[in-house]
Amino acid sequence: MMNLSRSVALISLFLLPLLTFSFSVDNPTDRRVLVLLDDLSLKSSHSIFFSTLKSRGFDLDFKLAEDSKLALQRYGQYLYDGLIIFAPSTERFGGSLDSKSIAEFVDSGRDLILSADTSASDLIRGIALECGVDFDEDSSAMVIDHSSFDGDHTLIAADDLVKSHAILGKTKIEAPVLFRGVAHSLNPTNNLVLKVLSASPSAYSANPSSKLSSPPQLTGSAISLVSVMQARNNARVVISGSLQLFSDRLLRSSVQKAGSPNKYEKSGNEQFVTELSKWVFHERGHLKAGSLVHHRVGETDEPAIYRIKDDLEFSVEILEWSGKSWEPYVADDMQVQFYMMSPYVLKTLSTDKKGLFHTSFKVPDVYGVFQFKVEYEKLGYTTLSLSKQIPVRPYRHNEYERFIPTAYPYYGACFTTMAGFFVFSFVYLYHK
Amino acid sequence: MLAVKVSTVLGSKTAALNVKLAQALSSGSKGSVINNQELKFDADSATYFLDSFPENFDVGKYTFVFEILLDESAQEKLYITEAQTKIPIAATGAISIENAEIAVLDGDVGSVESQKKLDLTKDGAVSLSANHLQKLRLSYQLNTPLGHVFKPHQAFLKLKHESQVEHIFLVKTSGKKSELVLDFLGLVEKLYYLSGKYEIQLTIGDASMENSLLSNIGHIELDLPERPEKAAQPPVQPTDPYSRYGPKAEISHIFRVPEKLPAKQLSLVFLGLIVLPFIAFLIGLTRLGVNIKSFPSSVGAATSALLFHGGIGAVLNIKALSLLGVFLSFVGHSTLSHLASASNKLKSA
Repeated sequence: MMNLSRSVALISLFLLPLLTFSFSVDNPTDRRVLVLLDDLSLKSSHSIFFSTLKSRGFDLDFKLAEDSKLALQRYGQYLYDGLIIFAPSTERFGGSLDSKSIAEFVDSGRDLILSADTSASDLIRGIALECGVDFDEDSSAMVIDHSSFDGDHTLIAADDLVKSHAILGKTKIEAPVLFRGVAHSLNPTNNLVLKVLSASPSAYSANPSSKLSSPPQLTGSAISLVSVMQARNNARVVISGSLQLFSDRLLRSSVQKAGSPNKYEKSGNEQFVTELSKWVFHERGHLKAGSLVHHRVGETDEPAIYRIKDDLEFSVEILEWSGKSWEPYVADDMQVQFYMMSPYVLKTLSTDKKGLFHTSFKVPDVYGVFQFKVEYEKLGYTTLSLSKQIPVRPYRHNEYERFIPTAYPYYGACFTTMAGFFVFSFVYLYHK
Repeated sequence: MLAVKVSTVLGSKTAALNVKLAQALSSGSKGSVINNQELKFDADSATYFLDSFPENFDVGKYTFVFEILLDESAQEKLYITEAQTKIPIAATGAISIENAEIAVLDGDVGSVESQKKLDLTKDGAVSLSANHLQKLRLSYQLNTPLGHVFKPHQAFLKLKHESQVEHIFLVKTSGKKSELVLDFLGLVEKLYYLSGKYEIQLTIGDASMENSLLSNIGHIELDLPERPEKAAQPPVQPTDPYSRYGPKAEISHIFRVPEKLPAKQLSLVFLGLIVLPFIAFLIGLTRLGVNIKSFPSSVGAATSALLFHGGIGAVLNIKALSLLGVFLSFVGHSTLSHLASASNKLKSA
């Protein structure tokens, strides 16, 4: 009995560090990723994608989607930082997973890659709908494009990529990206989703083997092939309409878009999925801010209260995660607001290229309780929302202007009256 | 050229075989275009090929039916998995587009109000206008290289409003030509009663069409009636993501402008004006011949007199009022009583 309890204690002692071995504020890149497959042969047919993830230090855990022992949490702690669902035809997940638990997983700040393919089950559609992505209702429809295809009209060669260094990296993806799968559109009122790979204007979503009897729902550039969502808690989700986009076959294949003279030895798929996986697992585009520092010009301490029309200096330090370390963030569109119910002052911060953003301005002549607000939203970067409160008081009675020239006549009147009285008192008493 | 490769289940080469294209069934018409055509074997590439197709083999979707027969000289026991293998094939070719034209027709009569010929291989700049009582007609003819009518899978006419709201219509092919007539009277509600400039875009495509096209034909100004209250609102369009994330416009606080004070010179002028009466008073006094002759000569009285006037001066200075007030009353009393007695003496004497 004693031995058993002691050994359990020892084992849990060893397990503790493992539990802390996940993403944290100081190291935001995900570590442990659960990969759900509906067919274990995907491990070999998508081996290049998985091996690039492993080579970057991710700990992949492959499981069948219907495995009855699936669990995302144990004893209230999440076991994984990221989830990849390559199971487009699964109707029901095994174990304790369902669309609700996956939605909670994303709500806790963890990341997700979800892929449908030529068939997408209702479960997958439901998860995508939670993220603001609508797959085509017709389950037999595929994306067809008679102008941007390679070989087969359902193998789309797409090059309408979003312009974002954060999401797709600094190097431009030259070759088109090959895609075969279903179309989806984004909810127009949702401003957290974004199209990363869009279809060309001549694309449409329909069943290729049957004639069209009515115009298709999704056509043209409204069709998104791959979309991303960044939630308000900075959890990142990638939703793709094609599982084949990640497959070895399309990653290694050459591309020649129909009607174009350019033939590319290698499709843009490998660069595309690698850069996208770097973004979704927080290796890039993740910002952290230090505290907001403000003080009067000429002083170094932060005052407890400002007076109207004071000159103040404001600075904030912002760092960007490079995948391995925190680097200074350089941008020219960081702004600060001096805010009370509405912004009174909004200024663009200048950077010293070492991560410190600063500016100075005059406190407005309205008194009240203000906030320094930095609300930074840039395509592909985490949102920053910082604020610091500071009161502003009006002039004290002795801080107003004194002895203004306009008052000279009044001073004159006062003093001449005094002088006159003085002289009169002399004269009246001693006049003879 | 059609090339076929036959292998065993495990992928290795087979013995001599006889591969035949039994039928080429077209998806549209009945009957087969090709019948029992034997394919020649090319030993270099180990493929069976057919290098020429009959003259009436047109563009379109076909199902090729292959039959594999063992050569009479085969010795081993070989089994063929299927007697007939059916493979869908799309035969592609360039489709010719002729007589493309777009016209605005008047109401029920159908008379042409304005008509323009189109060249669909490039974008045009056609400019039309119509109201809700008129119709728009687009027509063209698609022919295969052999001259038959071609029905493409994708034939869309897209009308895109300035506010990004889009509507798509299918162009149907019947008989010899493809035509679409848009009767705006019936479409007013579908178009959400939005009047204005609509861009016209035509997309024609098919798996067997080598020259699928997308042509921006031009635009049409539509004049539709006012929206009634109960009609559906047009759907919300997504905002451009690049503009959504940009930096906001700078705001700098406009400080309250202090009230405009008069010029300094004006204040000095008034100061002078104020001081003027005082100077006039002094001049007046000297004119009147005032003097301070009866200033007391004895020391005690003189001191208290000086102190008295000093006190008045100090009072006028306003500071330390209370103490001065007390001090002043004593000193003042002594001086004034002294003066009073002096003048009494004068009067009595």
